[in-house]
Amino acid sequence: MRVFWELTRRSFQRQVTYRAATIAGLLTNFFFGMLRASVLIGLYGQREVVAGIDIREAVTYTGVSQAVIGLLSLFSWVELMNTVYTGAVASDLIKPMSYYRFWLAQDLGRAVAQFGFRAVPIMIGYALVFDITYPHSLEQWLALAIVVVMAWLISFSFRFLINLAAFWMPNATGIIRFGFVLMSFFSGFIMPLRFFPEWFVRLSSFTPFPYMVNTVVEVYLGLVSGRGLMLALFAQIIWAIVLILVGKLVLRAGIRRLVILGG
Amino acid sequence: MRYIFGLYWRLIGVQIRSQVQYRFNLFTDVLATALVTITVFISLAFIFERFGTIAGWNLSEVAFLYGMVETAFGVMDMLFSGFDPQNFGRQVRLGRLDQLLLRPVNITLQVLGSEFIIRRVGRIFQGIIILTFSVHSLQIDWSIMKMSYLPIVFASLVAFFGGLFIIGATITFWTLESIEVINILTYGGAEMMSYPMSIYPLGMRRFFTYVIPAIFLMYYPAIYFLDKGDPLGLPFNANFFAPIAGFGVF
Repeated sequence: MRVFWELTRRSFQRQVTYRAATIAGLLTNFFFGMLRASVLIGLYGQREVVAGIDIREAVTYTGVSQAVIGLLSLFSWVELMNTVYTGAVASDLIKPMSYYRFWLAQDLGRAVAQFGFRAVPIMIGYALVFDITYPHSLEQWLALAIVVVMAWLISFSFRFLINLAAFWMPNATGIIRFGFVLMSFFSGFIMPLRFFPEWFVRLSSFTPFPYMVNTVVEVYLGLVSGRGLMLALFAQIIWAIVLILVGKLVLRAGIRRLVILGG
Repeated sequence: MRYIFGLYWRLIGVQIRSQVQYRFNLFTDVLATALVTITVFISLAFIFERFGTIAGWNLSEVAFLYGMVETAFGVMDMLFSGFDPQNFGRQVRLGRLDQLLLRPVNITLQVLGSEFIIRRVGRIFQGIIILTFSVHSLQIDWSIMKMSYLPIVFASLVAFFGGLFIIGATITFWTLESIEVINILTYGGAEMMSYPMSIYPLGMRRFFTYVIPAIFLMYYPAIYFLDKGDPLGLPFNANFFAPIAGFGVF
């Protein structure tokens, strides 16, 4: 376990070393958030509440969804793929630690850094510029914390899984990009899923994606509580378990295929 | 001139041949790139089904903006990938640019020829589909004036985004890391121009009018094509400024 935390810490440090890059990323995420907020404000016009979301909550939604981009690595993540192509995967595999946990630890460090230096500042920026809403009870904050951690776990296990394609293909960027497109479409990142037709929401609930962004947003805004919250959390746990198990199975098959030359 | 084009084709040809090698990857890559545009558009269509209009613009009208911007950005991205700040910054850091500088050929030509990404076809293709949908459902009153101005606006857009890429690329001479901030201007500008400009806060609008003249490239020409009123009320007729703004930035 000590190795695990050590890896997490190193990965965290690696993230915070590039300060200029962190600030640049922050500004970009914030700017896009402003654009998205403007679009929603324009859409609402004179309307007060649409699909159970009022304008303040809609603006807050853009903040929360921009804030989790880095934390959940929503746009791209090909680190594991790259190690397969450079051959670094060989030395990672002979480390006295499960390969899955080796990456989990590093991604945790990355996520914690992204939380502290991206998600939190973005929300602070939003609070300064817009009139946003906040979770209003201790239970809701607690629920949010749990849901965010689970969202990260689902996101990691999904990214790990699609990166494994590198074991089979000489170039896996296409298939990985494909995975990320599906993720952003069904996760409620582009727009809140509540605005979409019911059949689409039902369709997306059969995928792990809404449990990454949409669940986090809905818990933050207090749109789900009680039984609904329990169900969402339950779905998150199930998806995390399924994706981790599938990831490990595919990994085993992939390692069997792996041939590394030289030495 | 013949020599320059010949050389350009040869450089590009190498790129294309190498990318076609991994056929399955190319296929998924193009598909994924096309899907980005199409999923965003489907989401937009869902949203308009619920909301109707944004600042008086309906789905078909916004699709005109979105389709034009996506297609133009796609074409630009294909031609100017060599100047993509992320990619160019890496070349500078690795010292590969020095290599190019040593060769007795125009440096712009070499950079343009250094990267050509086929998967952008996906984006262009989807942009055209969205644009076709828009034009089809809008029934624009096409005068000869409009017919001839459309390609000019398109070319101006390509030049505008290309100019931003080159500006971003040259900044990387001074910065160590490739800076993500330039994405605000390029990708952010494209995103912004896909909606009627009147929805944005004043400060943002001023910046994209006076510093980066994005507003003249899509919003004002679109007002002309679609015969819409302008709530922003510039004191002069700004509909025909696109070529000046586009090629000015370039």
